[in-house]
Amino acid sequence: MFPLSPFAQRAAPSARLAALIASFVLVLAACSAGSAASTSPTASTAAVATPTPLLTAAPTPSPTTVPAFPTTLTDDEDTAVTIPAEPQKIVSLTPASTEILFALGAGPRVIATTEFDDFPPAAVALPAVATYTTVDVEKIVGMEADLVIAGGNFFNPPEAITRLRSLGVPVLVVYAPNLAGVLKDIELIGSAVGLSAEAKAMTATMQAGIDAVSAATAGLVKPRTFYELDVSTGPIYTVADGSVYVEMIELAGGDPITTGSTADFSIPLERLIAADPELILLGDAAYNVTAEQVKARSGWNVMTAVKTDAIRPANDVIITRPGPRLVQGLRELALAIHPNLVLPSAAPIPPVP
Amino acid sequence: MSAAIVELDAVTVAYRERRALLDITLSIAAGERVALIGPNGAGKSTLLAVATGLLRPAEGRVRLTGEPVEGLDRLDVARRLAVVPGAANLPFATRVEEVVALGRLPHEDPFRGARPADRAAIAAAIERVGVGHLLGRDARELSLGERQLVLIALAVAQSAPVLILDEPTVHLDLRHQVGAMELLVDLNERDGTTIIAVLHDLALAAHFFPRLVLLDGGRIVADGSAAEVLTPDRIREVFGVDPSFVRLPVGAA
Amino acid sequence: MTTRGGTLTTARPRVGRLGSVRDRPVLLVGLGFVALLVALVLGVGVGSVTIDPADTIAILAHRFLGLDIPQTWTDATETIVVELRLPRILTAMLVGCALAVAGATFQGLLRNPLADPYVLGTASGAALGAAIAVLIPVRFVILEFGLIQGLAFIGALASITVVYKLSRNSGLAPLTSLLLTGYAVGSLLAAALAMAMYLSGAALRQIFTYLLGSFDAATWPRFLATLPIILIASIAIMLRARSLNGLLLGEQAAAHLGVDVRRERRILLALASLVTAAAVAISGLIGFVGLVVPHVVRLLVGPSARLVLPLSAIGGAALLAYADIIARLAGGIPVGVVTAILGAPFFLVILRRARTGYEV
Repeated sequence: MFPLSPFAQRAAPSARLAALIASFVLVLAACSAGSAASTSPTASTAAVATPTPLLTAAPTPSPTTVPAFPTTLTDDEDTAVTIPAEPQKIVSLTPASTEILFALGAGPRVIATTEFDDFPPAAVALPAVATYTTVDVEKIVGMEADLVIAGGNFFNPPEAITRLRSLGVPVLVVYAPNLAGVLKDIELIGSAVGLSAEAKAMTATMQAGIDAVSAATAGLVKPRTFYELDVSTGPIYTVADGSVYVEMIELAGGDPITTGSTADFSIPLERLIAADPELILLGDAAYNVTAEQVKARSGWNVMTAVKTDAIRPANDVIITRPGPRLVQGLRELALAIHPNLVLPSAAPIPPVP
Repeated sequence: MSAAIVELDAVTVAYRERRALLDITLSIAAGERVALIGPNGAGKSTLLAVATGLLRPAEGRVRLTGEPVEGLDRLDVARRLAVVPGAANLPFATRVEEVVALGRLPHEDPFRGARPADRAAIAAAIERVGVGHLLGRDARELSLGERQLVLIALAVAQSAPVLILDEPTVHLDLRHQVGAMELLVDLNERDGTTIIAVLHDLALAAHFFPRLVLLDGGRIVADGSAAEVLTPDRIREVFGVDPSFVRLPVGAA
Repeated sequence: MTTRGGTLTTARPRVGRLGSVRDRPVLLVGLGFVALLVALVLGVGVGSVTIDPADTIAILAHRFLGLDIPQTWTDATETIVVELRLPRILTAMLVGCALAVAGATFQGLLRNPLADPYVLGTASGAALGAAIAVLIPVRFVILEFGLIQGLAFIGALASITVVYKLSRNSGLAPLTSLLLTGYAVGSLLAAALAMAMYLSGAALRQIFTYLLGSFDAATWPRFLATLPIILIASIAIMLRARSLNGLLLGEQAAAHLGVDVRRERRILLALASLVTAAAVAISGLIGFVGLVVPHVVRLLVGPSARLVLPLSAIGGAALLAYADIIARLAGGIPVGVVTAILGAPFFLVILRRARTGYEV
């Protein structure tokens, strides 16, 4: 699962940091755990998302003659989730799932989201049934939700997921440790809400967009890129080995400097200086961190990036939210790394039919 | 002479060296009033511990009312011997009457607590010891002398044939010392309660107790009346002081 | 029977203490049950979803009294009332009862007014158990009980066992040894817990939730599984009230009053630990209830365990039930925060009133 960074400027720094750390570790733990497998059920049931290898194959076509519901899907925790009828009262417990639902066209059927959802605006207006730490099971039951989409790897409390399931509410747990996982989740959610075709169209468009960026940056020299997540509390937080950031930055034509470990998100200043970044991307730009501040930091002036003034802001939210805006995030990342890059114009997501 | 109520027979206790007892043979009959005296470390408290069954002797036997103490459980012992508790920190606010009520523990119904007979015994003990004016007060706020009396009342409420006290007058002023002694005499002569008291004050012992047992270095050195036990030579030998320092009441040697 | 200068109550040695009000224990018990009943009604009627009180009553009557009432409510409403709210309020009462009884027992056993159910390392052991459960990448449900609950229970019992065994080797007096060993082992376990939390990554939030205590995880199976443990152990403790009373003046005095001190201490320790372990297993670490409720009860009826134990059970149940209601109405804050807010002022009052007893 991509880290969550809807930490609006409103959030208190400590909450932001806590959430950031939580996000980083989410990503790291995810990558070390490996991607969740999903298997095709027997032929009589409706289509299930199949794993999409990175950068290459297109999703398999879905059988269109079989009725979509009832259906049993395997979620990202390998749990079989049975959805008896097309859901009309959907609750989304992660901002990414909310974006996916709205992009697929299921927006009108979403009845509740989390407190910290921030996109699209229509979702922000919906009632909240979850905070960073709790899920209001009673409210969800009271709303008679017929599908809940929750975040795996402790994004939502596992206890709440178990509780909802024990009360008969279908809960689909999504968790994407990499880009391929994101596309898979979009198709999984699409199948869950009866919009498989729309989902497949979207992932195809996204895949094409990813491929386009990858192709555009393929032959370019990749600058050593330091992606700054947070330095406000002292330690320098950046991307960990094997995290989704690494994948994104490489696709965008950069050579990411990592912490050297899959579990640790902090890098000692010495190591960073030794790595000598040629480019600094400010993932914390949303928190008013500027290039001037970076240049003023003691010890940082020896870095190539600082000397050549190659310090640029990055929109951490869309770079890391495992949803429809990911390709846009990738494009912006590529342009941040290679400002003179020319990309083919982006196909809209969701694709216009 | 009545039957022996507390007997120690060739009792030896090896217990942290300083408090060892060596070959103690002592027999106390029902209705007696006995003072255990001796210098610090002579083994007086250890003797009490053995007599009440808290310590097991390495050798020898202890009998209460003729029965070996090993065969008795704590409740049996508690019904035969009442030991005035030492001053202890009370963790919670406890009223005087609640402290005295603890003396009925061995007799109470384990499930329903105090019965009318128990309540009567508590009231009688309070009256007898004369702490009625302290009722309702928090026992933690009493003076040392008042506390001691309350604890004596607790032991009296236990209604055991034997009452045992370990240095009951340590913190008391003279008036309370004498008052406590007079109470013990009264309990012994009026109710027939056997009294065994460890005392450090020789004058009090000599005046109020017809029988003194002198301990030194874990042994019984003398056992008899004050005149027999507290000879000048003994005082010099055992206590290491000039006998003229010890003011004995008229009539003692 | 009267004595000079004061009135001797022949009725009973334990009398009311607050001002001049003579609180008869029976009255207090009655009040307690009324409070519990009101808490039950509120707990079932109140929540993040508004439910018509008439519906609530109808649902309860229909499900539990078997009355044949035409269904005018939705299935969702019935699920909320019967599957979510009812086990929750009952669990809160059960845990409150357990913590208060355990707290009163530990205070009497250790002769320390500042003792609470967690004083001998049970809290740290339970928390570590829960943290390990969270970190194990296995989803494990035994009889719908849950790995967290199971390991928390085991952790609590394991830590008290270690404390007890270690304390026997010390040359100190048994009580002092217990307290100090409990502190030492608790600190060690807390360090292990801190390490686990540091390594926990995304699971950190869930460990925190456990540490702060909550009744979100209250289900019928968990309630019914812990109910017999807590009830039976609590009653077993109450039947040994005499031993606890005997300990008031110290272990030697207790022995002289007929208490088999070593045996009773072992048994009471085991029972109180069992009760605590069961409570923290289903609710996490909720503080102040076990510390404060017994003291409030003693203010009313005196220190005799025969009254303090059952009244603490009722008082603890009521306190935690209301705390949970308040916590839910306040937007789902952890119930441990509410008990802290309610209990901290009481705790300060207790500190002020606590004395060392005989100051020489």
